[in-house]
Amino acid sequence: MWGTLVSAIGFGVVLASIIAVAAMGFTIQFGLTNVLNLSFGAVMTVAAFAAYLANRHGVGGWSGLVVGGAAGAVLTLVLGRGVFKAYARRGARLFEMMMVTLGLSLIIDYAIQAISHNNIYQFAVLQSTPLQLGSILITRTQLIIVVISIAILVALQVLLRATKIGKALRAMAADPDLARASGIRTDQIVILTWLLSGFLCGVAGVVYVINSQSVGYTTGQLFLPLVVSAAILGGAGSPVGAVLASLIMGVVTEVVSAFGSAAYSTVAGFGILVIVLLSRPSSVRGGQAGHEQLTL
Amino acid sequence: MHVQKIRIAVVVCVVAACAMTVAVTARGSSASGGKLTVAGVIAITGSSDFEGANQAGGLYPAIYAINAAGGVLGNQVVYKGVDTRGDPADALPAVQQMLATTSNLIAVAGPDTSSAPTIVPVLNSAKVPMMAVAGESVYDRNTAPYFWRLFPPDAANGTAMALWAKRKGYTKVAAVFGTDSGSQGDRPGVIASLKSLHMQLVASVDLTSSQPTYLSSVRKVIASHPQVIMTESDATTAGTFFGEMKQLGGLVPIVGTEATFTSPWLTAVKGALGSAFLKEYTGLITAPSKTTPAVKAYQQAVTAAKKQVPSPWQSYLSNPFSITYYDGMIAVALAMVATHSTKPSVFNNAIPQVTNPGPGKKVVYTFAQGKAALAAGKHIQYIGATGLINFDKYHNSFGNQEAVQSTSSLKPVELGVVTAKQIEAVPVKGA
Repeated sequence: MWGTLVSAIGFGVVLASIIAVAAMGFTIQFGLTNVLNLSFGAVMTVAAFAAYLANRHGVGGWSGLVVGGAAGAVLTLVLGRGVFKAYARRGARLFEMMMVTLGLSLIIDYAIQAISHNNIYQFAVLQSTPLQLGSILITRTQLIIVVISIAILVALQVLLRATKIGKALRAMAADPDLARASGIRTDQIVILTWLLSGFLCGVAGVVYVINSQSVGYTTGQLFLPLVVSAAILGGAGSPVGAVLASLIMGVVTEVVSAFGSAAYSTVAGFGILVIVLLSRPSSVRGGQAGHEQLTL
Repeated sequence: MHVQKIRIAVVVCVVAACAMTVAVTARGSSASGGKLTVAGVIAITGSSDFEGANQAGGLYPAIYAINAAGGVLGNQVVYKGVDTRGDPADALPAVQQMLATTSNLIAVAGPDTSSAPTIVPVLNSAKVPMMAVAGESVYDRNTAPYFWRLFPPDAANGTAMALWAKRKGYTKVAAVFGTDSGSQGDRPGVIASLKSLHMQLVASVDLTSSQPTYLSSVRKVIASHPQVIMTESDATTAGTFFGEMKQLGGLVPIVGTEATFTSPWLTAVKGALGSAFLKEYTGLITAPSKTTPAVKAYQQAVTAAKKQVPSPWQSYLSNPFSITYYDGMIAVALAMVATHSTKPSVFNNAIPQVTNPGPGKKVVYTFAQGKAALAAGKHIQYIGATGLINFDKYHNSFGNQEAVQSTSSLKPVELGVVTAKQIEAVPVKGA
């Protein structure tokens, strides 16, 4: 009983780590631009395919994270500056912009579907032997994924709390007009946000397929609800909140899976989201609701 | 003024009636030299899009074979895809639109398991013959005259899996199924068959599609110490689950349903298991792996139609779903030739006449052979690439099932046969 519980919590941490990488990328961008970017999953898929193709051409192992991250950063920047900004200039507001991102998501997904001929491709580049950590049996690869997730959280916290760029990011997220009036180069900060968010999105796509060992055109699309939920649950713009929310969702999902039916485990994760948002509408960390204008 | 309104109404009614008559006539009796449409009612997009690929992989070769032999009564056959997205809510309007806009519709390939309960009554009322791949047990005693199933019911496939596992000496079984409608449709047949054969179900796990990890479920299955896993799920889910199972050192032999013997599933699981895949995986499928003349003709047709079928075209050479669609289409075409009619209400009842065994019938393996024999005034029995076709009074036909391994190029290698008699002898309750 205890062994199963401890084991389920351990597995929950692994699941949370995979969700958290993406959720941190999503929340950074959402907190600053206010764009509920539903094309995030599609970009994850593109990044995963980029890593797959790189692997086919000899770029092995964990280097795929850099390739996927770069692909995600470039594509996100192109979408952010080339598409979202153009729609914002034409008067698109929050809801309209969400529909634009949804449309883009479908376009990218169907394009990948056509190019990939609907096939699933194997990405078994980092299979490893299991490690017994008390009651928890996980693989070295999964342990590294947990470490990557923690490293990204620490790096983001340092960036946000200990650098000028981070200060500017937080200022813009709180009040873009005041930040602009204070001399912050808001345009450059937005570009940096797209790049950072896109890079994390790409890394998340690669982390996902490293663990699932296969890549297909639905890879990011099916993962997106978990990511968006964790980002919203954690509070827009808060990497720590996103990680906490991912932990809640991951652990609840795995505990329900261990003691109940796996079929309802994801539902239980989303159930927690509903309950938390009912009691603390702003987020799991109880932060302030952000501004309501697009910052592009 | 009032009289004028009545006159206008009468004229409108007459014109509408004439238009409807013309439309109905056009659908029923095609003139020689025209085009006959076969519609593929299936998930072409969405998470079940592989079903559409499986269907196209069999229909295009069938249409190629028919048209290459001069078509049906001088008409060429064309394919029209109707996308159900694997969802009854999308399927119904798509089918209604198809019925309203498609001229010379001779048959439907499909529907599949998820949309069959919604779509079968609609197509049956419209008198459109359908070659379904719906595995629901409700169709085991089908009464819809235009419904035909060349595919084993889910329960039969499940029974064959259980019989095979028992033959291999396994007594402890874990059932691992996806929560999608196709996989859940196959699950009861497996569970009920295990009970009937007094085998022990040590774990039963349902997997939500495409989660990043299934570690707790993997642990649960490993802790139950099964000797074999019986399974069906989508490809990505299977790849993740069995990959984690292997990495955690708990991999045991896998027996998959017919739906697992498709290119995406095999690719995903082969990728996750590596060299262990060949040893551990067995699928129970309908299609014979032996090269009969019909199989050879089917494979030639796939090769000839390789530019039309989805990529990779080689994967359809032994895809049991594609082969089933191929046979269904050939049977429909031969029934039209046999009755000299492209009108579904005329040729529908003749479908068993050209497939079922009977005294004095000439056995044919291709559409061209069948057409020639019918022209010579003979009665025919079409033996398809799926083997013997023998529709019962419920319009069901399924034969032996084969246990197969998959080669590295995803071709089946026969391990043994579970006969239809053996399957029928198992008293399955509650499937």
